[in-house]
Amino acid sequence: MDFNPVPFDFAGSFSQWLIIVGILIGGSLGLSLLLAVARNGASGVPMFTRGLTSYLSDLGSLSLRRILAITSLTFKEAVRRKALLIFVVFAVLLMFAGWFLSNSNSRAELQANVHITFVLRTIAWLILPAVIFLSCWGIPEDIRLRSMHTVVTKPARRMEIVLGRMLGFGTVTILVLCVMGVIGYVWIQRQIPENVRNNLTCRVPVFGHLLFIDTAGQPSYTGINVGDTWMYRSYVQGNSRARAVWMFSNVTPDALVGDVLRLESRFEAFRTVKGSEKSIREGIEGQFTLVKNARDEAFGGFALGASTREMADLLREGQFRNAADKLKEFAEKIRTKPKDIPDPDYAGLAGGAQQASGALKVLNSDTHNFDELSQLFKDLFDTTFQLSDRKAAAAAGNTIFEDIAAKCDAVADYLKTNADDLLDHMPRLEVPLPTFTVTEFHEGDDIREVNRKLEFVADYETLGRFLAKTISRLNDAGKVVEGDSISPAFLDTLAEEKEISPLNAELLLTVLTEQLQSGALRVADGKLAVADGRRWFPFFDDLVRRELLVSQDSEGWLLTLDLFEDLTTAGFLRIEVSCLNDQMYLGMARPDLFIRLPDRPFYVGYTKAILTTGLMLLLVVVIGVTSSCVVKGPVSVFLTLTMFIVGQFFHDFMLRIVSGNEQGLGLIESAALIWQHRNPSVGLDASEATQKFVQGIDSVSTGFLAGVSRIIPDFSVFGSAAAHVEKGFDVPLDASVWPSVAAFFAFMIPCVLLAGACLKFRELESK
Amino acid sequence: MRDGSCPAVSGHFFDILVGKELVMQNESVIEIRNLSKIYRDFWGRKKVQAVKSLSLDVHRGEVFGLLGPNGSGKTTTMKMLLGLLFPTSGEMRILGKPASDVSKNEKIGYLPEESYLYRFLNADETLDFYGRLFNMSAAERAKRADELIEMVGLSKARRRQLKEYSKGMTRRIGLAQALINDPELVLLDEPTSGLDPIGTREMKDLILKLKAQGKTVIMCSHQLGDVQDVCDRIAVLFQGELKVLGRVDELLEIRDEMQIRTSSLSDAAIADIQAVLKKHNVVNSSFQKPKADLEELFLRTVRESGERPGRRFSAEEIATGTGDNKGAGGSKV
Ligand SMILES: Nc1ncnc2c1ncn2[C@@H]1O[C@H](COP(=O)(O)OP(=O)(O)OP(=O)(O)O)[C@@H](O)[C@H]1O
Ligand SMILES: [Mg+2]
Repeated sequence: MDFNPVPFDFAGSFSQWLIIVGILIGGSLGLSLLLAVARNGASGVPMFTRGLTSYLSDLGSLSLRRILAITSLTFKEAVRRKALLIFVVFAVLLMFAGWFLSNSNSRAELQANVHITFVLRTIAWLILPAVIFLSCWGIPEDIRLRSMHTVVTKPARRMEIVLGRMLGFGTVTILVLCVMGVIGYVWIQRQIPENVRNNLTCRVPVFGHLLFIDTAGQPSYTGINVGDTWMYRSYVQGNSRARAVWMFSNVTPDALVGDVLRLESRFEAFRTVKGSEKSIREGIEGQFTLVKNARDEAFGGFALGASTREMADLLREGQFRNAADKLKEFAEKIRTKPKDIPDPDYAGLAGGAQQASGALKVLNSDTHNFDELSQLFKDLFDTTFQLSDRKAAAAAGNTIFEDIAAKCDAVADYLKTNADDLLDHMPRLEVPLPTFTVTEFHEGDDIREVNRKLEFVADYETLGRFLAKTISRLNDAGKVVEGDSISPAFLDTLAEEKEISPLNAELLLTVLTEQLQSGALRVADGKLAVADGRRWFPFFDDLVRRELLVSQDSEGWLLTLDLFEDLTTAGFLRIEVSCLNDQMYLGMARPDLFIRLPDRPFYVGYTKAILTTGLMLLLVVVIGVTSSCVVKGPVSVFLTLTMFIVGQFFHDFMLRIVSGNEQGLGLIESAALIWQHRNPSVGLDASEATQKFVQGIDSVSTGFLAGVSRIIPDFSVFGSAAAHVEKGFDVPLDASVWPSVAAFFAFMIPCVLLAGACLKFRELESK
Repeated sequence: MRDGSCPAVSGHFFDILVGKELVMQNESVIEIRNLSKIYRDFWGRKKVQAVKSLSLDVHRGEVFGLLGPNGSGKTTTMKMLLGLLFPTSGEMRILGKPASDVSKNEKIGYLPEESYLYRFLNADETLDFYGRLFNMSAAERAKRADELIEMVGLSKARRRQLKEYSKGMTRRIGLAQALINDPELVLLDEPTSGLDPIGTREMKDLILKLKAQGKTVIMCSHQLGDVQDVCDRIAVLFQGELKVLGRVDELLEIRDEMQIRTSSLSDAAIADIQAVLKKHNVVNSSFQKPKADLEELFLRTVRESGERPGRRFSAEEIATGTGDNKGAGGSKV
């Protein structure tokens, strides 16, 4: 499965492809020139050029009508040779499969999966041998029976024969595939039990990135390992600060189903205390928290260096002035005693600055622009990063540190002067969702629905911001003050605010009146203002923290938030998962939580799976026809089958060997080690020179394998779509469909060129 | 035989002999220079040399016969001309183009030794398929197919798959496919093999008709009588070597003999004529039905080639039978 919706890199793959194909074409041209010269001496060169020009002019004079003539001939041949008998086999298989597959699994979605898997696999594996056989036998048989003679003595270019054959077999394949696909679709619909039928959809997941926060509140890549040998999932400790953090991007209202965002999850419960049977059945409690914490995202990176950790904490708390002071202190230290600061702290500074500069850019909105600060952090990063080049840094001497300190000061100055603005525009909002339970032995996935409009009991900061916003709005409208005191109609005005309950409205009125009397607030120009010139948010924040505004009704300050307006920044949504029970753990891996977009109908994914299967079969046709232009039928079948099996099952393995990621030594060295009964870590019992020699030979064979791994297509690409559909997911275009399409064309084009050349430059005499 | 040809052709026959043929002559449609072909096995070892240093010209508008015993390299030569096989050495030009150029095929028709066609197609489909290879439009293909099927006499069997055809029928459809593009140059490899006597006759008429239309025809055949009837020039190959090349009428002219052909004579008449001959000192005269002369030529060439490999015979030698084989010439009048 692919989790990253990385757009398929057409340009990159294409240029790589061009290079490889260029090398192949160059190589084969060189080889044929050599052969021509070796056979015919000096006259080989003009022969070669003549051959080449005639090949190119053939390419230029291809005619669609001739190609289609051969296509339809091929098609007729296949049909009249009873290739379509394959349908009978398919029908029989489907008939009997029905008996075995019904009731094959107790779980609904698995029932559906089994049927889908069966149909998709059967289709692929039934057509495959037929396709290999047809395409590998066509041209050799044509040559053997010499019917090719009457074709090539017509103006048919040999390239046209190749293309026509490929197209013809391709058409048969696609036809059979489509018919089987439709039959299979109907069969699935009818065969699976009634209650499972609504499981037949294509889920469209959006996967996020997973990070962890450890029990000390610091970020980390993994959670706790509870001792599973299977290290797939990481665990979050219960009743602690530990959390799993999922970050999703591009979350927009399109993701909503009706009015809710669906989170589908599958967590693992791990208990260190085995309670009663009842408690096991009840499972352990977990909770999602939606988090929008601009300050943490921007400044969290500074926590990585010891010297900047304190500053990071201040920044995260929103105390920008204090943080600026800390930064100035640090700058002073850099200026005076740069060598006293350990390297990791410089690294922390650089890393923090880099993260800040990136994250701040995303925060830009209509109300505030963070570009200047982002640029300051970027300068800081650039300067500090110079230290990573030790030589250059040493050469530059202390001027680098001067520079770094200067950049720190610049940042600090900005923070100081813009502290209020930053505080206003970098909120922290954490909205806990209702808890859920996970049992140890649960089956299937859970779906939690998050309403777009969220009811949320405000925490201190959010309350402060809410009141600041509300009061300043009402104040600007002139509804707060009348004369020198709070307007008598203020309570009525507040009653119109939906989110303020009557009791809380009264409280607010009381507190404001008190503040006015105590001189913390004053009235100027018929408007209320904070006496010491502070903004509204710090003023209310202060009141909230002094617990002067504790809600008077039992519900608390109940606010309504909008998922997209209040909790996402530029489509970026952060969801944290915590475990609530002490001594319990919640385990998870990246695919365990995803946003489930509106489902697509089943046929969408099914069609895509059939499509990629079709591309795979077409590629087999292409390879079969190509090899049959060079060798006879049986050999060609063998070649194609080998290519397919290696490409399907061992491509990955091959790449691992080539890249050195697979444990083990080279071919001969390993063989010798086995012979000598020695361990790879000990090495060969031979002289240094011999060992070098053997390794040299082995590196050649590995190089050869590297070449082969480029030439044999990775057939597993084509299977990924089916794998998605079998698991009930839609097929992502970028991860499955486009790579399949690209792989098909990437191999098809050189194959056609090669096959055309092979057929052109061979005598059509069966030997 | 010539005067009895089928009505469709007889009309133009004499125009041809005296007319077009002479005008068109000497423009080479096929030039072969020092052509050799060695068949090799998979490992590149020589199996057999099928053609040895062959040089030939075929002129526009003539019917050219390629003769020789089995395995003498006739088919190999044709295949090389068509680009099916690549020569080991030597040069060829067909219709002014090298043999490896596919575009020359636009104006060529080829009837292979055996009809290698797609057995799962019927006659209509076969012709349609080959027509499409010539980029002909559907209407054109249909029209041409009708004509050709009519011509080769397969109207009744046009919807049957070729695998049900008899040998002669297959030959006929093979011929139709060779003519689908109204070719300028027709290569026929043993056109009459497998045909019934009527078919053979029709084939010969057809060849003459093609010639009348100004087409060039090259044919291989073992039916020497047929070759003699239709060919303007012949070449005899023996084990890949060219043994004899020349105009049929020149080659078959026997200069120190004279043959008189009359309607049947009474014994008295024969006696009279013999008396006259005696008076003129003619010795060794005989009164026999004449034999197919080409057969004689052919047998002699083959025999002598076997005895004296590597030698080519001149028309003179052939004609006078002095190819130092005394016995060869004298067996007839
Ligand atoms: N594909 C081949 N591989 C090896 N040798 C071949 C092949 N085709 C023909 N030959 C040989 O080449 C020689 C010439 O064969 P070719 O078919 O040209 O003779 P031909 O004159 O057409 O004979 P025929 O009158 O029997 O048709 C023969 O010795 C034959 O055995
Ligand atoms: Mg032959």
